Amino acid sequence: MATSTLSPSRAAVAQNQRWKQLRKQLPNYLFILPHFFFFSVFLLYPIFRGLQISLYDWKIMLKDQAFIGLANYQALLQDKIFWQTLNNTVYFTVLTVVMNVILALFVATGLKHPFIGSNFLRVLFYAPGILSVSVLGIIGIRVWDTQIGILNYFITTMLGGPRIAWLGNPDMVIPALAVTTVWWTFGFPMLVFIAGMHNIPEPLYEAAKIDGAGPLQTFRHITLPLLMPTMLFVVVTQFIAHMQVFAQPYIITGGGPGNASRSATMYLYETAWKFFRFGYASSISVVLALIMIVVTVILFMLMRRRTEY
Amino acid sequence: MNQAIVYPERRRFGRYIARSVLMWLFFLPLALIVVVPVLYMISMAFTLEANQMKFPIEWIPNPPTLSNFQKIFVDPQLPIVRWFVNSLLVATVGTAIIVFLSSLSGYAFARLEFPGKGFLFSLLIFSLMIPSAVTLIPAFLLLRDLKLLNTYHAIWWPAAASVTGIFLMRQHFFSIPGELEDAARVDGASRFRIYWQICLPLVRGAMVALFIFAFLGLWNDLFWPLIVLSERAALTLPVGLLVIQQGSYIQRGLAFAGAFIASMPVLIFYAIFQRKIIAGIVTAGLAGR
Repeated sequence: MATSTLSPSRAAVAQNQRWKQLRKQLPNYLFILPHFFFFSVFLLYPIFRGLQISLYDWKIMLKDQAFIGLANYQALLQDKIFWQTLNNTVYFTVLTVVMNVILALFVATGLKHPFIGSNFLRVLFYAPGILSVSVLGIIGIRVWDTQIGILNYFITTMLGGPRIAWLGNPDMVIPALAVTTVWWTFGFPMLVFIAGMHNIPEPLYEAAKIDGAGPLQTFRHITLPLLMPTMLFVVVTQFIAHMQVFAQPYIITGGGPGNASRSATMYLYETAWKFFRFGYASSISVVLALIMIVVTVILFMLMRRRTEY
Repeated sequence: MNQAIVYPERRRFGRYIARSVLMWLFFLPLALIVVVPVLYMISMAFTLEANQMKFPIEWIPNPPTLSNFQKIFVDPQLPIVRWFVNSLLVATVGTAIIVFLSSLSGYAFARLEFPGKGFLFSLLIFSLMIPSAVTLIPAFLLLRDLKLLNTYHAIWWPAAASVTGIFLMRQHFFSIPGELEDAARVDGASRFRIYWQICLPLVRGAMVALFIFAFLGLWNDLFWPLIVLSERAALTLPVGLLVIQQGSYIQRGLAFAGAFIASMPVLIFYAIFQRKIIAGIVTAGLAGR
């Protein structure tokens, strides 16, 4: 009985307390407010705005934009150049990620245990990553040049081989760009793998050694499975980064020969800032984003399953 | 007895040397592949325009020349000093903004309570999934409407929206023992003072890591500056390099001299602080995990 008379006032007290707590917590928003402002303006709002623009025949000079529904997407489905650039991009990304992961794993395994100069090599192998992609492009042009290129210099003078038109050959141009990118970026996965390998408990290796496992077996059955979470991180971040490749083809090949090395982001850039078709370019960006999100989720699920032991 | 102790140690040392030699034999080709193109870039920066096209390649400039640099510095169409200053301002101020805002937000998400905290944080995680391609065009149009194209603001404020730094700072703020804050609260310190004077100094390492990571990103970035900067005087170095390399500037030596100017500061900085930088890149790079 007593509780029933007390309960309304208790509820009031509780509400009062909650109100008090809220008032105490309110200033905490001030900490996240500055970032959240820019986050909303330059990330959240543009996401929805981008979706909206993709439904318009958006031309930069016009005051009133024409709403055309899904017409941009319909056009995109039939756009042969878009599909080719998408194809190029996926091919480039798969090549780059696979080569990066294999090379980085290989180098990390070698550098895991210190030897004379191992730290120097680690620093050296990351060094290309410090360069701007513009510098990478300027160097890359001359590495692959048919007439005076560094690679053809070694092939002709040391191996006595012929000059190879690396960038003039539609079948060779994307692998060439992928190799250039691996040269530039393999240092980061290498560092991450080394850090990951140091987290694997040493007793596991000792036990394997006692059981008579060779280096290849320990790598396959201990290092690789225990490195899976690190691998997941590397593959997902590398995938997202390289799917957005722009500068390497833009500077080194200009997308050529023909469209053989044009990337999807390069096509998006040209559609928007060369031909000023912002609506169409937005639909490209939305499709690209969807593909990347789907693949990221798939990668996550695939690798999650393999990491659960 | 003495011998019995020394002997295996010496053998271990011998094995260490043998392993080192083996590893170097293994890694030397890769090391050369990494080094040669960079040395080539440096060498070409000091090679006469007339000798740029020589084949077989003239690895050591004969004679070494500063003419490429002279040409860049006197060309009014290539204000490289201005570009350098632009890059420096864009990168330092942008980084300072990122570090400050990330530490504020990271602190709040780690140590403070407020309604909707979980939702707001998952919003940040969600934004990581969205590739920058989607935000590119609307962000550009917005900056154009605000008349901020070709200004530093066009790079600073979109950079301020980046979220990876928040994850990094949040992780490190988590590791501070709560008693420290409690003690300060009892002493009557304000929330901001607790953050600024007690917690911030304790995560200095993470802030340095974030600073390095963000600075390199802004200094080297090409894509976004290429979109929002078009006037010659407003460019940053990476975009300026494209101007030198493309267009009517077919002079090859100039591009290498420009590349030299753009990369030397970071390479020297890297050589001096390599240990810190590598540690920083790993810490900051892993934060998005």
